[in-house]
Amino acid sequence: MSSDTRPATPMSRQIAEHRSLLDRALGLPKLVLVALSVALIGFVISQILIGYMVVSGQLDGKWYDIRDFGNAMVSLSDAINSSGMDSRIASTLTYLIPTLLGATGIVSVVGGWLLIGPWAERRLLAKFQIRQGPNRTGPFGLLQSLADALKLMQKEIIIPRGADRFLYFAPPIAVFIPAILGWAPIPWSPKMSYADLDVGVLFVIAISSLGVLAVFMAGWASNNHYSLLGAMRTIAMMISYEIPISVSLLAVVLLTGSTKLSEIVMWQSEQGVWLIMLIPFAALAFLFASTAEINRTPNDIGEAESEIVAGFYTEYSGMKAGLFMAVELGNAILVGALMSTFFLGGYTFFGLETWIPGYLILATKIGLVYFLFVWIRATLPRFRLDQLMGFAWKFLIPVSIALMFLTAIESSILVRWDAPSFLSLGLIALVNVAAAVGLTFVWMRVLFRDTDLSAPPAPILTRKMGGLQAAKVLRG
Amino acid sequence: MIPEVFGRVGILFTLAIAFPMLPIMVSFLLYQLKIRPENPNPIKLATYECGVEAEGSSWGQFNARYYLFALGFVIFDVEVIFLYPWAVEHQELALTVLWKAVLFIGILLLGLVYAWRKRALEWR
Repeated sequence: MSSDTRPATPMSRQIAEHRSLLDRALGLPKLVLVALSVALIGFVISQILIGYMVVSGQLDGKWYDIRDFGNAMVSLSDAINSSGMDSRIASTLTYLIPTLLGATGIVSVVGGWLLIGPWAERRLLAKFQIRQGPNRTGPFGLLQSLADALKLMQKEIIIPRGADRFLYFAPPIAVFIPAILGWAPIPWSPKMSYADLDVGVLFVIAISSLGVLAVFMAGWASNNHYSLLGAMRTIAMMISYEIPISVSLLAVVLLTGSTKLSEIVMWQSEQGVWLIMLIPFAALAFLFASTAEINRTPNDIGEAESEIVAGFYTEYSGMKAGLFMAVELGNAILVGALMSTFFLGGYTFFGLETWIPGYLILATKIGLVYFLFVWIRATLPRFRLDQLMGFAWKFLIPVSIALMFLTAIESSILVRWDAPSFLSLGLIALVNVAAAVGLTFVWMRVLFRDTDLSAPPAPILTRKMGGLQAAKVLRG
Repeated sequence: MIPEVFGRVGILFTLAIAFPMLPIMVSFLLYQLKIRPENPNPIKLATYECGVEAEGSSWGQFNARYYLFALGFVIFDVEVIFLYPWAVEHQELALTVLWKAVLFIGILLLGLVYAWRKRALEWR
């Protein structure tokens, strides 16, 4: 912004004065710049060190191998076991220390994201709409979310007279459980997954359906028409879109032959291909269905402001409403992590994970998927409820089940046919893309057989008044 | 092995409950310190209804449309969960098992077609 081209108004002078006062008092922008450059220099130096040590083979499995914090945990367990402690205490310690560290790590990742996430989202949305976004609180407005949280904590918490008091208390807490528990099976590096469940995919599906309970508790307990309507809409949408999610994950399991998330990532890494290239329809169905699952635009009819105030959390105020708003962002990066793990190769990037820590690669992928979510939010308007339900039941479910069986046939051929993997996988990708596009077109023909798709209905003015003809006449 | 891994999930579960409790606790503490206001009055505690008084309780009957979708969901979700064991072992199994899975889903898809013909999927 060049201030010299504009006349200085009292307002702008005041703002400039305020900015400079804040800058002088805190020195924050410089501090942030210094911190960023220190972090960048540290990253480059550590990368050079890692590169040197990988080449000379000194790094494998040592505790200072920062590419994978699992190594440090293994070394710690070895040290505890060999220290001559009582074996019962030693086994308890070797279990508890990594577990507590890991759980704290997951919670602090989510908590840290909740502190910068709202700022990032508003800022990105502002950039999409060609405006500034929050840029007053702290450097680049970075402290905006912290200020919002502080403000919400100071707000009065109103419990409406008609509400069911216990059920009214539970939902803001219950809604966070899937957002945090869903991180448990996600692998961040080969040895760095918090709880590498054998039934990881089933666990993810089970956990993601817990959100429905919290939403319905909120809507029912508030005893408000808007709340109940919002809860009902959200539940109908969430349960409808859970089936496409399950079916597309079934296609993933059919190809990889495992429900363990780390093995799904390893399969993609070994075959040198991401599953989004092999089963693009399942990946896109998962992406769209998960925006419905986490109540994000374009599928946020459960909290459509223009229709039903704030949906299922209309009656919530203060920090409790803030928790409902925060959990949406937490869910967004959880879905980003699941999307990256299932379809985008997880913590691997075609061999780059040897040099760059896997968790940084995964974080980058999560950030890109999140950016896609914000992009979708900035681009698409909100869908109507009947459109959403029709899309799930009449299009996504039949087509993804059909393509899932196609994947099953391909998967059994892949095992039995002894061809080079690039040939067989390339054929699978081609067949799947062709089948997805073809089936989509055929199914649309079937669905809209009564409608003439080639000629969109003209606007009523054009039809009644002959707008085009009139324009031609006017132009001469 | 299994209890160990699920024990970790349990520990994360307690943290997942504690994490949202924290801001609510801070909010409560601010009330105890008389920083956060707490001045309820009858109008403030009334059910929100865009400025008019709320008509009746919302704990009652609701549009049956939603329940039809819930029924469809129960059928399909259970079916998909049944397919997961097959999906894991699919590459080792004989191809005839695939046709049995197709038959299994086909029967349920007939149900979907029936619901569609009965206009249960339209939103009226």
